[in-house]
Amino acid sequence: MVGTLESADKMSPAKGDRFKPLAFFKRYGREIGLPVIVVALTVLFAANSEVFLSLANFRNIGVSAAALAAVSFGQTFAILTAGLDLSVGSIVALVSIVGAIVMRDHGVPAGMIASLVTGASVGLVNGIVITRFKVFPFIATLAMMSIVSGLALSLSGGVAVTGVPASFSDLAYELVLGIPVPVIIALMVLLIAFVVLQYTVLGRRIYAVGGNEEAARLSGIQIGVVKVAAYVFSGMCAAVGSIILTARVASGQPSLGTTLPLESVAAVVLGGISLFGGRGSVVGVAFGVLFVSILSNGLNLLNVPSYTQMMVIGGALILAVALDQAFIGSRVGRRG
Amino acid sequence: MSVVRSEAMPAPAPDRNELQFVVLSNLQKDYPGVRALGGVSMDLRRGEVHALVGENGAGKSTLIRILSGDVQPDGGTMSVGGETVVFAGPLDARKHGIVTIFQELMIVPELSVAENIFLGNEPESLGLFYSRHSAERMAADILEMLAKGIGLRPSQRAGSLSTAQKQLIEIARALVLRAPVLVMDEPTAALSENEAVALRRLIVRLRSEGTSILYVSHRLDEVMEIADRVTVLRGGERIATSDIGAITNTSELLGLMIGRPIAQLFPPRNQDLGEVVFSASNLTRQGAFENVSFDVRAGEVIGFAGLVGAGRTEVMRAIFGADGLDSGEICKNGRVISIHNPRDAIASGIAYLPEDRKDQGLVLSMSGIENIVMASLESSGFAGFVSWKTVGRSAQSVADKLHFRGQLDAMAGTASGGNQQKLVIGKWVLTHADILIFDEPTRGIDVGAKAEVYRLIHRLASEGAAVILVSSELPELMNVCHRIYAMSGGRIFDEIPQEEFDEQRILAGAFAAHMAAKPATIDAGAL
Repeated sequence: MVGTLESADKMSPAKGDRFKPLAFFKRYGREIGLPVIVVALTVLFAANSEVFLSLANFRNIGVSAAALAAVSFGQTFAILTAGLDLSVGSIVALVSIVGAIVMRDHGVPAGMIASLVTGASVGLVNGIVITRFKVFPFIATLAMMSIVSGLALSLSGGVAVTGVPASFSDLAYELVLGIPVPVIIALMVLLIAFVVLQYTVLGRRIYAVGGNEEAARLSGIQIGVVKVAAYVFSGMCAAVGSIILTARVASGQPSLGTTLPLESVAAVVLGGISLFGGRGSVVGVAFGVLFVSILSNGLNLLNVPSYTQMMVIGGALILAVALDQAFIGSRVGRRG
Repeated sequence: MSVVRSEAMPAPAPDRNELQFVVLSNLQKDYPGVRALGGVSMDLRRGEVHALVGENGAGKSTLIRILSGDVQPDGGTMSVGGETVVFAGPLDARKHGIVTIFQELMIVPELSVAENIFLGNEPESLGLFYSRHSAERMAADILEMLAKGIGLRPSQRAGSLSTAQKQLIEIARALVLRAPVLVMDEPTAALSENEAVALRRLIVRLRSEGTSILYVSHRLDEVMEIADRVTVLRGGERIATSDIGAITNTSELLGLMIGRPIAQLFPPRNQDLGEVVFSASNLTRQGAFENVSFDVRAGEVIGFAGLVGAGRTEVMRAIFGADGLDSGEICKNGRVISIHNPRDAIASGIAYLPEDRKDQGLVLSMSGIENIVMASLESSGFAGFVSWKTVGRSAQSVADKLHFRGQLDAMAGTASGGNQQKLVIGKWVLTHADILIFDEPTRGIDVGAKAEVYRLIHRLASEGAAVILVSSELPELMNVCHRIYAMSGGRIFDEIPQEEFDEQRILAGAFAAHMAAKPATIDAGAL
């Protein structure tokens, strides 16, 4: 009887499959748009600078992108839950101080562990403030940004922590199979983030909570646990970013990472993660990071002053989101 | 009515055939991969109620959205009053007198009733300031005309209103704009029976004053009652347009919609009832419901009748642990169980299908597969990892069992209403729940999908599950349930066994609290 109503649900496919650029862009723009732009940018800079297309410069881009990448992959978790982590910059600073002190006194492995624990702890506090005390992520992490930054400054007395073992700081410039170690670390974080988001129960719940919190709750998902986990992950990723930066500057710096909140949110949003949560892939974020890094590297090579670069990156962020809204928008309409 | 629209609306001329007011010809719309409308032509006369019916995915929504200026057609033309029009946006449609009332009501909750009515069209004083005084006075006039004595104050905050009252605001808004054409998308879907009756009465009155109404509804009895003509869409094509007098019964309409005659809508009831497996006693939450007691046997379907706001959903959510409970006891299989959150309830084998599947039932941005396994993901892999192979297989088998006909790996938001509901049901089938609470499971889905939901309920009951059905549709309750509880004002007023099912009696129970408190409100049809 009623069991044979195929026609109603599957509407007749559009006849004449000729290529429509606009329709194609609307359908696939979000996935391929950024990689295409990254390639275009590369071509543009290669044409205007002889140094740009060299192995040394690519290593340079990789090393400078690595810390931002790690932080951005963590930021992805927070934003996927429809939240935000503005404290990543000050986590980087605090971890840099704590890591450098522990490393100086107890060796590199202890320092690494202390770094990760510090990052995770700040993330845990973020998560608890947001879920238990119901403070909006924007306010909670903005306040934590100030608290953690103050903590880093008082721990260090406002000056750099020196005496970091050379075996640690050398890591920033060492190559394995021709690839700088920071790049390898960033790729490992990407792999872990990808696997966690795609192939674990926790990862899928992060998408579910960000996509529709009430539906997730009514499916028996513990919203609080999922969100706290996301912020802990964000904190740990920031710690990894901090380790990379600390190695590069060979000291604990209380003012490290001040631009990271903006840059990581920019990379995540450019990478196609919805600020409303629940949508987007961490692979896209990797391209977002590449975009930001290649842009500033190329502008450097073209001798564009760094102040101008700040304006360009801010403008690119607005442009990307505006384009997204205008042409692609949400593919899941609320109306049937 | 004369106050608002006399000068704008001439009386309908005698020969209505000559007055094709809105003419749509050969409208086409393609979305990537699907043809939503394949050249649909129809017209709307002055002063008629023209019903538009069809299954979900038939193209009704697309047609409405084109008419409202929300989307632009790929081909075809529209004319209003003989003048060819192209709508660049919703404002254009309004300028040409077409006002659409969507299913999702466009109400700003923090603004007052009057402010909502005049939203975007605010009365001004001195050409500069918003005049609250005149807005509220005009709003009061309009509300008075629409539904007398309902106690809707223009200064009231709109967020505190019932769905029916919000709908009234939308209609008032259309009247303010003096719209000669009103498009209504499933206006009664969220209303209780009595509210729907009052709305239909209002529609008939608007028609008599010359308004043309395009009326989209899944409730075919309603269409038969108030429409002058009906157009049936199927798969993006117009199948038929007919005077309602030429249609003998709803089955004939159904046949047109589906393309073949429809068999029975309601399956027979399960006859094999077991022991009482679930009981609630004296459930109370201050301000929501009090002393609610009921029980269900294995294989039984019990129904909860009542008006919107009677406390039925609140009780069910409390049982499921989604909201708190002040006092009362819940027993399953003779043992008292304590439920603090949905997790506990799921662990006890209780499932809840929320009344709003888009807001509470599904994550629209995730695939059908992921929605189906959402409540049972933990048991699908090991050490916290998800095995997509296993998950895909179990989701597919459930989807097949439920006759899910969309694409499982597509985002849930792209599936039709009926298919979305199947995803939610599938989620709970996978948790192996044996106490299933369905809260308005057929709201806003088409007749074919409704029949399937009824058959699923029947099948789950036959397999020994106890089913609790909350519904605002009396025919549904009376044909699916073994017993009906009637709730009103947070209390159960009547328990009616199958042999005694009677519309009057159920309605009496649903209105009981209102009868006692303020009998005057019932007169106004609860709007």
